Amino acid sequence: MTRPAQNPYRRLRGQMFLVLLAFGLLPLIGMGIAGFVANRAAFETRTRNVLEAMVKNRRATVELFLEQTLRQLELAAAAQPAAKLAEPATLESLFAEMRRDHGAIIDLGLIGADGRHIAYIGPYKLADLDYSEEPWFQQVMVVGRYESDIFLGFRRFPHMVMAVKKREAGADYILRATIDTDLLSELVREGGLESGADVFILNRAGEYQTRYSDEHRLMERADLAAIPLHSGVRVTEASAGRREYVATAWLRGDAWVLVARQGVPGFVALIRNAHPGVIGLFVLGLVAIPLISQFIARHRMRQIRGLETERAALYESVAQTQKMAAIGRLAAGVAHEINNPLAIIQAQVGVLSDILAEGAVSADCAEFEDRIAKIDAQVERARKVTHRLLGFSRRVGPELEPVDVAAALNETVSFVEKEIEASRVHVFRDFAAEVPLIRSNLSQMQQVFLNLINNALDALHEGGEVRLMVRPAEGGVEVKVEDNGPGIGERDLTRIFEPFFSTKAGKGQHSGLGLAICQEIMRNLGGRISVESSAARGTAFTLWFPMETDNA
Amino acid sequence: MGELRLLLVDDEVEFLEPMKARLERRGLACATATSGDDALRLLGSERFDCAVVDVKMPGMDGLELLRRMRRTWPETAVVLLTGHASVELGVQGMELGAFEYLLKPVELDDLLDTVRRAAAGARRD
Repeated sequence: MTRPAQNPYRRLRGQMFLVLLAFGLLPLIGMGIAGFVANRAAFETRTRNVLEAMVKNRRATVELFLEQTLRQLELAAAAQPAAKLAEPATLESLFAEMRRDHGAIIDLGLIGADGRHIAYIGPYKLADLDYSEEPWFQQVMVVGRYESDIFLGFRRFPHMVMAVKKREAGADYILRATIDTDLLSELVREGGLESGADVFILNRAGEYQTRYSDEHRLMERADLAAIPLHSGVRVTEASAGRREYVATAWLRGDAWVLVARQGVPGFVALIRNAHPGVIGLFVLGLVAIPLISQFIARHRMRQIRGLETERAALYESVAQTQKMAAIGRLAAGVAHEINNPLAIIQAQVGVLSDILAEGAVSADCAEFEDRIAKIDAQVERARKVTHRLLGFSRRVGPELEPVDVAAALNETVSFVEKEIEASRVHVFRDFAAEVPLIRSNLSQMQQVFLNLINNALDALHEGGEVRLMVRPAEGGVEVKVEDNGPGIGERDLTRIFEPFFSTKAGKGQHSGLGLAICQEIMRNLGGRISVESSAARGTAFTLWFPMETDNA
Repeated sequence: MGELRLLLVDDEVEFLEPMKARLERRGLACATATSGDDALRLLGSERFDCAVVDVKMPGMDGLELLRRMRRTWPETAVVLLTGHASVELGVQGMELGAFEYLLKPVELDDLLDTVRRAAAGARRD
C-alpha cells in the first residue's frame, strides 16, 4: 500500500521493452552471425586456393631460376679451357655476361683442386682462402655440382653458392658463383601479397632462406612447426597463437621448402572487410531497434495507463452513484420511519383536541397524562431516526477516523431493519468481546456491509439466517457475513467480483456492480475480501480491515 | 344512508387506537386490524363500506391485502395510507383498484372526506 502506484507500470514497460528488443534484435544478430559464418567460409576457401596457387607458382619460378643459373655456370665451365678461365679478363667477361642475363651473381671464382682461388671476380677479398676443408668443396669434388643453403661462410654474411667441377687434362677445377640472396627473396615474394600473408623459403632445418619482411632474418629459425616431407602442395590449418593457413611445397630435391602462410582474419578484420552498406544497415538496426522498442513500449504503456485511469474513474463514478442510491433508499426508509410516528403523534394530539373541544378536560386528567406521555415517546422515536440520518450523511466524506467495526456493522444493520423484518430473516450477531478500534473510512466500510447484507437478504427466503461475525485477526479486524441461502455455483463464484456480473434475476434493478465496488473499496481501505460458498452451507464473505489505512 | 362502517388496518396499535377514537367521535363505526390476516378474518364476519390500509406491514403487506379484497369483497372500497413516500407504490396501488392513495400523516378531515367518497362510490356500484 505504501508502494508508489507507478512501479508496476514501470516494470511492465521494462518487460515490454525487453520483449520488443529481443524480437527486433534476435533476427538481426542471427543474420549477422549467419553472414559472418558464410563470409568466413568463403574467405577460407579463397585463401586456401590463393595460397596453393601461389606456392605452386613461386616454386616453379625459384626452381627455374636456380636451374638456369646452374646451367649457365656449367656451360661457362665447359665452354672455355681452364687456362683461359684463369685469366681475369676471361672470368670478368663471363661474370659480366652472367650478371647481364640474371643479375643474380655477386661474384665468380675459379678454384683449384687444392681449394685455393686461381682467379676471383667480386667484391670480397677471398683470393687467399683455402676451401679444401669446406663441406661444399668436398661435395663438389665428388658429385660434380653443388648448390648450398644460405650460409655465412668466410665472409661472415649470409650467402648461397653454386659450384660446378671442370675436369681438364687430369686436373680438377671448380667454377663457383655466389647467388644474390636478395634477388632470391624478390623472386619468392614477386607480385606482392595480401595483408597478413607471408611467403618464404626454409631449409630442412627450418631456417629462413629468403626474407620477406624486416622481421625475417636470414638463417634464423622460423616459428613454425617442423614441416614433414611431402610431394606437391599441401595446405594445412595451424593455430599456434592465431589461426592461419600454411601452404607448403618442397623444392630443390627436398632441400628447401617454400612456405606461404595467411592468417585467418578475426571477427573485427572480417567486419572491416565487409561491405560498408551491410555494416551500416547492421549498425542502423542496432541503434534503431532499441529506440523503436522503447518508443512502442512507452506509447503502449501510456495507452494502458489511460485505460486504467478511465477504469478507476468509472469505478469511482459508479461507487458514487451507488452511494447516492443507497442514501436515496435510506432517505425513503427514514421518511417512512418519521412519517409513521408523526402520524401517531398527530392522531394522539387530534384525540386530545377532540376531548378539549368537548369541554370535558377536568373529567379525566389521567387520560391527558397518558396521551402526553405517548406523544413524548413518539417524538423521541422521530428524533432518533433523524439523528441516524444526519450521522450517516455527515460521514460521506473520505476522512479517516477511529472506527468501532462492531458498532459500524450494527448501525448498518439498523439501516435495513425494515427489509430484514419484511423478509422475516433472523440476524445473529457473533461479536468478539475485545475488538480494537481501527483507523478507516466509516462510510465506505458501511457501504461494503450494506452491499453484503443486502446480497444475503436477496439470497434468503423467509426464515433464513444471516450470521454476522466480528473478531480481531492478524493485525486488523475480520468481519464475516454469512447466510444459509442456496449458495453460489462454482462457475459463478469465480466471476462474482467482476463488474456487471449478476446472478440475481430481476427487472434490471441489479447493476452487477455491488461486489465489484466492495472489492474496490476494500482495496482502497487496504483490506481484503474473499468468498466461500457451497449449496449445503450457503455463502460467507470474509472481510479483513488493517489497523491503519494509508490512503482512502 | 345509515352508519358508515370502516375497517382500519395498520401494524401499529399506537396508530389504530387514537384514529379509531377520533373517527368514532365523528359517527363512524370503526373496527381495527393489526395485520392482513386479521383484516381478512374481520371481513369474513362483517361487512365494511371502506377499509383504510397501511402499505408497509410485516407478513402480508397492504398491496397483497388490497389484491385479495378486490377479489373477495369488491363492495368494500380500499384507501391506501402509507408513510413510505413512493410514487411507484401509489401507481401500483391504484392499478390494483385502490380508491385513493394517501400519505401519512394525513389531516383527519381529508381522510374523512376520502372515506365518505369511497363509501359512496362503493354503494353506488
